[in-house]
Amino acid sequence: MTTRRPIIYVVDDDISVCRALALLLKSHDFHVETFTSAKDFLASKHPKVPSCLVLDLRLRHTNGLVLQETMTTQGLTIPIIFISGHGDIPKSVKAMKGGAVDFLPKPFTDKELLDAIDRAITKNKIQNKEQSEIAKIKRRIKTLSPRELEVFRLVASGMLSKQIAYKRGTALQTIKVHRSRVMQKMQAKTVTELIHFAQKAGLISSKK
Amino acid sequence: MKNKSKMKTAMKKDIRTKRKPRTLKKSKKSSSVSGQKKAKKSVSEKGNRNVERSRLKRQVSDLGKNRNHLRDTVHQQADELKIKNGQIKKWADKERLAEEQIHIRTKAMDSTADGIFIIDAQKKDFPIIYSNQSFQTMTGYAKKDILGRNYFLLYGADADPRIAKEIKNTLRQEKSFYGEMLNFRKNGEKYWNYLRIAPVRDASGVVTHYVGIQTDVTLMRQRDFEIKEQREELLHVTRVGKLSEFVSSLAHEISQPLTAILSYAQAAQRILAGPPTEQAERELQLQEILQYIVNDDQRASEVIRRLRALLKKSDPEFRPIDMNELINETVVLMTTDVTVRNKVIKTQLHSKLPLIRGDRIQLQQVLLNLISNSLDAMESNHESRELVIRTFCKGPKTIMVEVKDSGCGIPEQNMEKLFRHFFTSKPEGLGMGLSISRSIIEAHGGRLEAKNNPDGGATFYFTVPLMKRANARTKDRSL
Repeated sequence: MTTRRPIIYVVDDDISVCRALALLLKSHDFHVETFTSAKDFLASKHPKVPSCLVLDLRLRHTNGLVLQETMTTQGLTIPIIFISGHGDIPKSVKAMKGGAVDFLPKPFTDKELLDAIDRAITKNKIQNKEQSEIAKIKRRIKTLSPRELEVFRLVASGMLSKQIAYKRGTALQTIKVHRSRVMQKMQAKTVTELIHFAQKAGLISSKK
Repeated sequence: MKNKSKMKTAMKKDIRTKRKPRTLKKSKKSSSVSGQKKAKKSVSEKGNRNVERSRLKRQVSDLGKNRNHLRDTVHQQADELKIKNGQIKKWADKERLAEEQIHIRTKAMDSTADGIFIIDAQKKDFPIIYSNQSFQTMTGYAKKDILGRNYFLLYGADADPRIAKEIKNTLRQEKSFYGEMLNFRKNGEKYWNYLRIAPVRDASGVVTHYVGIQTDVTLMRQRDFEIKEQREELLHVTRVGKLSEFVSSLAHEISQPLTAILSYAQAAQRILAGPPTEQAERELQLQEILQYIVNDDQRASEVIRRLRALLKKSDPEFRPIDMNELINETVVLMTTDVTVRNKVIKTQLHSKLPLIRGDRIQLQQVLLNLISNSLDAMESNHESRELVIRTFCKGPKTIMVEVKDSGCGIPEQNMEKLFRHFFTSKPEGLGMGLSISRSIIEAHGGRLEAKNNPDGGATFYFTVPLMKRANARTKDRSL
């Protein structure tokens, strides 16, 4: 039960702000972890539960935007809510472009913060779901034989069985057998679904 | 050793020659004795013989005396020679020691981090005849570039010629010079040089050389600048109008505790509204939160208290002011800034400028603003270095102050907007300086205007009316 409780990370170099936000969020039944430096946050463990990061734009040795970039390069997908003491517009624009969920100028009310956290957690849940789905598809793809994988690619790119057979110089019947095995292994009910899987796994580009 | 044995043989020779006269005398004596024997035979008088004997006795004793004297002389001379021999040995030792000392001194001179050089004062163009290793490192010139050249040729073309002149004048008067100045290495790199030059006199008091020591004080200067800058930052922030950075950091400092307070308070509300936990525990929690709120409130108050102290501004105090004095003070205040930018402020102050009535701080704010604007205008142009501040009487009832730069001038289309609020041509500017300055001058009953100079650059000038009534006095000052 406790593992499913969302984690809210707070990174602010001001210890009092950290403490106050922790108290506030704990009173709202969140699991809160506070850090006074970006380094400590990166060094900590981030369990796979819905979570979000409340991040001060101005930190002592670095700034929130740098941490945001580091997280992106490290593949740490936790939605960020930026908080800032000065309503710095250029920085907030940059933050939002970098994928921040919200930007709250200090001081903010509990409602503003909770709403933002709500949005961030929802986003994170979707992200996590998406990620686990992609992982599932990738696992299934691994069970395909090389020939099945090739047929999968060609089907996903929109070719008919006849076209594939002609291109490969194989009997239509053989292709049909491969194809049904691909459908089976990928657990796809329709061709549309199969194409969708291929897109998610990055086998074909989502455009066109 | 060789010398010693030579000396001995020389001595022996000497002794031999000294003995010669003694043998001569002996032969004389024997001849005279034989002569007397002949006389004895012919005269054969007893009395005569007696006389002869006593005379001979006397002669023998005289000879003995002479011999003793000669022996003493020889001994004495031998002793003298011994002493001389010792002296020569001592001289040789001394010379060796002196050589060693010179060697150590040269080494020491080369080991010190200070640049040391010696100038020949008796040649007309004062050439350098010695320089140590550090001098070469500091100036960036090789020894062959230095020796024989005049010190000022190594001084850097961009260095302030006035200081060079000052040094020359001091040296011509045979006095010591010391001072700190901006110099340039051979590669053009700037360094702060703490230079001391002292005359070296010979026994008769004539200056034969100058010895110079220079220390690279760039790092120290930088540290000084940093401290000074921090100290002056406040001044600039409040008076020159660089407020934006300050306001931004202030906003951050206040919003931190405010954020915390709000969150603490709302957490407390939440706890109160939540399901009733154990009474005692809840109370403890709330007490803790309240204490945090008090702490952060004090933190915010402290920021505001500091801000108030910073911006503390009593109503303008109108007092008698000597504008020249205020200008001199302000120029001193800007010295660091001016030096760093490699510019020069010249003042042409009317020596009998009447007093005016005004607020010292406010008028200084205007001066600082005009000076720093002018410096900004000259920033990009290395050719233009000079900023001239003039004061003079404008009619019987006002004085005028001019700040004239040789900068980029004011584009015609900006002339009109110059004194408007928020008009600025600087990327970092707020557009407040000139508008505030104008309102200050107007509050003093004067006018602040600007014009472009015919020979380039711009001049900002303002008038201030003289102090009224009988207590207005003029202040004499010789410049």
